[in-house]
Amino acid sequence: MSNVILNIVNVRKSFGDHHVLKDINLEVHKSEVVTLIGSSGSGKTTLLRCLNLLNEPDSGHIYFFENDLMNPKTDLDKLRMSIGMVFQNFNLFNNKNVIDNCTLALIKLKGMNKEAAEEKAMHYLAKVGMANFAQANVARLSGGQKQRVAIARALCMEPEIMLFDEPTSALDPEMVGEVLEVIQALAKEGMTMVIVTHEMAFAKEVSDKILFMENGIILESGRPEEIFNRPKNERTRLFLKRFTQN
Amino acid sequence: MILTSISDIISKYHSFFTRGLLYTILLAVLGTAGGFLLALPFLGIKTTKIDPIRDSKVSIFIKKVGIGFTNVYTTFFRGTPMMVQAMIFYYGMSLVIHNVTGNNYWWKPIIAGIIVIIINTSAYIIEILRGAVNAIDPGQMEAARSLGFSRKKALYLIIYPQAIKNALPSIGNEFIVNLKDSSVLSVIGIFDLFKATGSVVSTTADSVTPYIITAILYLTLTSITALLVKKLESKRHGGEMKNV
Repeated sequence: MSNVILNIVNVRKSFGDHHVLKDINLEVHKSEVVTLIGSSGSGKTTLLRCLNLLNEPDSGHIYFFENDLMNPKTDLDKLRMSIGMVFQNFNLFNNKNVIDNCTLALIKLKGMNKEAAEEKAMHYLAKVGMANFAQANVARLSGGQKQRVAIARALCMEPEIMLFDEPTSALDPEMVGEVLEVIQALAKEGMTMVIVTHEMAFAKEVSDKILFMENGIILESGRPEEIFNRPKNERTRLFLKRFTQN
Repeated sequence: MILTSISDIISKYHSFFTRGLLYTILLAVLGTAGGFLLALPFLGIKTTKIDPIRDSKVSIFIKKVGIGFTNVYTTFFRGTPMMVQAMIFYYGMSLVIHNVTGNNYWWKPIIAGIIVIIINTSAYIIEILRGAVNAIDPGQMEAARSLGFSRKKALYLIIYPQAIKNALPSIGNEFIVNLKDSSVLSVIGIFDLFKATGSVVSTTADSVTPYIITAILYLTLTSITALLVKKLESKRHGGEMKNV
């Protein structure tokens, strides 16, 4: 049990009358790569955003190690420092250049001095292949470059887990590969990750566990080969068929 | 004919115009700069969010009072003429100061005028900045929160700097408005450009030419400022366009 990083218990979330998440339960173990698939509106992005409380569930518990994020007394900001997140639209800070995007939280939240923070930032920028762009204005970067910087920014905090919200959905097709490679390399190093994606081939290759979501519930979960080759549920089969046809 | 009378009046009364011009510029500069600074704490209040789960009852109450006060403040100062505000403030404070301290000889129209134009301008700039904050992509805040920044830190480090930069042209426009609208402060006896022109009119008995001169002076001031604002805007957009 000690290697459970995230434990999601009976999480429900609705927007108005629309029940987006209906009683979700999920455990994420150390070094596990969990991928959420499903059609748009199935609730997978909402679930991911609940994991660091960017979306606040209506009820349930989200344990990050032993801390319940849903407890109002929990120091959310502190715990979020250990939960990295990468967004569909990158969300790099527009008023900062590449390296300052990476060092800001290190300096302002971790109290590191500028030199140490920049050293760390350069290490992670090199890791995603963006070291040469350290001084660049973020507005000048391509989508793929922005997303790699966003990954480096999250890695700088040396998180226990990384959340990826459709990290390649806003990218031109030729840039998808460079971002997926970075994520794959992280998986190999044993980074714990939860990924929402529409890239089925990538999901099949990178995941330890795949969750198929529909209408706010996890309809089916299992190892990639189980889900892709022997889906138990008819809906899962139809969804994957549609995807492989495209 | 008109040209000779213009040059006549300028050569005889240029000191009036110069002095009036200086007061007008002083009012516009202090009004806009001071209004901007005064708007910042109100912006902080207006952009707080009440978190019903994590905020204590006391802090929810304080936030609600602050937001309510800010709304009353902007509604009042944007909804009444600055001329009326100046009258109430100058004569009202005059009475208060006299009653409290026994004399009010130091209470000058220019002091009242500067305070009124600062307050008035701040009410407009609060709304400009609030709009600029709302226009920032919510993803900026989400990214900051996901890294562990509190909402307040994210506002100070990420959101406000971008919003203020984007709002600079609008604040420049407020400066142009102040150059012109400071003329209403002549009502409490400030010797601005408009008041100075009135003095020239009453000594020359020519009630048209001095105002033509004044119109040209105002137009020059506002045109120069408009040009600078435009430059600021194109620099900003130019920088963004290149990346589209």
